Amino acid sequence: MLLPESMSRIVIVGNKSRLDEATDALYSLKVIHLIDHTVGTDEGFSIGAPRPYSEKASERLLSLRAVEKELSIDPAKTELDAPSSAKDVRAKISANSVEAIGEEVFRVLDRKSGIVQKITEEKAKKDTLTLLETIPVDLDLYAGYGSLAVLTGSVRDDPTQALAGIEAECFVSADKKMAAVFVRKAKRDDALRILTDFEYTEMSVPEGKGAVKDNIAQADSRLAALNAELDAVRKELDALKGKHAADIVALDEELSISTEKGELPLRIATSEHSFIIDAWVPTAKVTATVSGMEEKMGGNIFVEVQEDRSRSLHDVEHAEPRFKETPTKMNNGPYVKNFEYPVKLLSAPKYQELDPSIILSIFFPLFFGLMVGDIGYAIPFIILGAFGLKTAKSKDFRAIAMILFFGGLWAFIFGFFFFGEMFGMHFTGEGAPGLLTTLASDKMVSWESIFSLNFPDWFVNIFPNHGHGVSKVNDVTFLLQVSIYIGIVHILTGFAIGFYNAKIQHGMREAFFEKGGWIITFVGLVMFAWALAQGMIFGKDLMAGLPLYILLTGVVLMVIGISVSIKKEGAQAILELPGLFGNILSYARLTAIGMSKAGMAMAFNYISIVLIGAGLGGIMGIIIGLLMFCFLHLVIWVLAIISAGLHALRLQYVEMMSKFYVGGGKEYEPLEIKRKNTKIVETEV
Amino acid sequence: MAGYEIGDGLIAVGAGLAVGLAGIGAGLGEKDVGAAAVGAITEDMSLFGKCIVLIVLPETIVIFGLVIAFMLLFVGIS
Repeated sequence: MLLPESMSRIVIVGNKSRLDEATDALYSLKVIHLIDHTVGTDEGFSIGAPRPYSEKASERLLSLRAVEKELSIDPAKTELDAPSSAKDVRAKISANSVEAIGEEVFRVLDRKSGIVQKITEEKAKKDTLTLLETIPVDLDLYAGYGSLAVLTGSVRDDPTQALAGIEAECFVSADKKMAAVFVRKAKRDDALRILTDFEYTEMSVPEGKGAVKDNIAQADSRLAALNAELDAVRKELDALKGKHAADIVALDEELSISTEKGELPLRIATSEHSFIIDAWVPTAKVTATVSGMEEKMGGNIFVEVQEDRSRSLHDVEHAEPRFKETPTKMNNGPYVKNFEYPVKLLSAPKYQELDPSIILSIFFPLFFGLMVGDIGYAIPFIILGAFGLKTAKSKDFRAIAMILFFGGLWAFIFGFFFFGEMFGMHFTGEGAPGLLTTLASDKMVSWESIFSLNFPDWFVNIFPNHGHGVSKVNDVTFLLQVSIYIGIVHILTGFAIGFYNAKIQHGMREAFFEKGGWIITFVGLVMFAWALAQGMIFGKDLMAGLPLYILLTGVVLMVIGISVSIKKEGAQAILELPGLFGNILSYARLTAIGMSKAGMAMAFNYISIVLIGAGLGGIMGIIIGLLMFCFLHLVIWVLAIISAGLHALRLQYVEMMSKFYVGGGKEYEPLEIKRKNTKIVETEV
Repeated sequence: MAGYEIGDGLIAVGAGLAVGLAGIGAGLGEKDVGAAAVGAITEDMSLFGKCIVLIVLPETIVIFGLVIAFMLLFVGIS
């Protein structure tokens, strides 16, 4: 359960003429993790060629994807209410349905792009006309002269004065930025030279008749007509989308499946008449796989188990390169399964190491709960988590919902039975009864005191610390100690797993030198630090009695541990000591986060209570006070997700998993067809 | 504020400096790692987990500061 599922390597040999049947059989078993064939490993064998049907299928898939893009259909995000039968879809494919849809859609699309182009041209023409609008020359007068040249374009300023010397007639627009110059053809160059000083840029004048203003109006009406046409085409495309969407996603799925199946030979070895497939199969499924393959192929196939892969790394050393890496199939129950996600965020575990998901499933929600530790925030977490677990489908969201739900449960347990707190206030406390007197009394504000309640004895006795619950703000020293002890257990768990991993990978002796040394050092360090703390912080005599013995034992253990580790890691082992100490101290955040939240809650409660209780604004004060209370606690709650969640995760990743986790394993991916929008009907073969 | 002495105030200032300066240090460290990590994640989303580990590494410094502050305030160095 803790280790990834045990794997066996099998080899499947068969006749190439029955490759298609074999492919179907392989996919239907859903347990075969294919090992890609490497060229040159087997003499006489080479990588196979794709099946003949696959080329046509991928061609069709390509044109279908183009249609999907144009119609903005996303098969990955579409789920049909009624999946079509795979047989029908195959029939449609053979009846050239993909080509027909493509033709129909692209015909409309061609029309659309034609219209779009016309609109662009018309707009450009209109823009030009708008520039010429205030020049008092009709459009047909700009061209068609035998001896006259017309220079039309943009200028910096009115060039009329400058052109006076060469017998030119000049018209300028109202803003003097456009000019039309009529000049004898022989003088054209002279005019151009003068115009250059005015930063003249020539512009081509559209053809047309009558006043420019009328032409603009005509362009406008043409544009309106074109836009109407475009709308009609768009509607047509929408209609096409509605008509074909279901077919398109089903066709896409079926074609993807045949492409994938058809390209299987690219991953296996084939000779002239036979094929060889190497694959990993979970050891527990080997018998079923062998008999399943033989049954489906009518005995016309040969399946042999090559090896049951052990966890020892020595076995791997002599294996062929392509057989070295064994895929990891994490093997967890329904609860722990959701904690595979944070592990995979880092990377999948190796086949030869313990899957840390189960450790995370215990400590992650626990740390989260301890840091939140308030039933006022815990209950929304539980509700949100339960809602997420019920509705969320994506794996990521399910994992997050799971953490919120179980983290919320822990937060409730800690919040009630340990801290006795809701929204940063204890249930019971010493404060004087009454909303205002409580504030004035300078004592701990509690739900009991602000509402002048009197909780029954049995209820008060639930809370530790004389019926108050542990205070996050006042009992810091105690909470710090608790966090550090939790940290020690957590890190030791990490080392123990590391020891186990080393043992199954290399054997007991190696494990002792690799991790055993560290465990001894760690225990020594803890004893040493404990004794020092007794002396320096709690003011006990370090040089006598229990602290002295523990101090000495700690030092001895540290020396032994380091000398064991030095054999494996060299002098560097000594340098790791402060880091290890830092790791332990790092768990102080379990208290620190809770305290910071409690501090914020205290300040926010004070603000709201003053607003409500002191009657600073009568009824408005009460409303504003209540709103402030809700909003400010919502802020803390949202912060709790981020800070408590991230810090709880970090303690797993950095402090614990760094003690043993290697990761970088390859995930087990069996050949499997996942149908979403098509289905196999019983009667089909 | 009767009953408080200058020494108490100095302890409080010391505790504040311990957390605050450690926080600035961690922030400076995290700034560089964070920027690089965001870049890496944009390139390859699967690096997310590893980047989290790297980003939070400098954070421990603040915890050291915090522990010192706690010791000053609650344990009291006599």
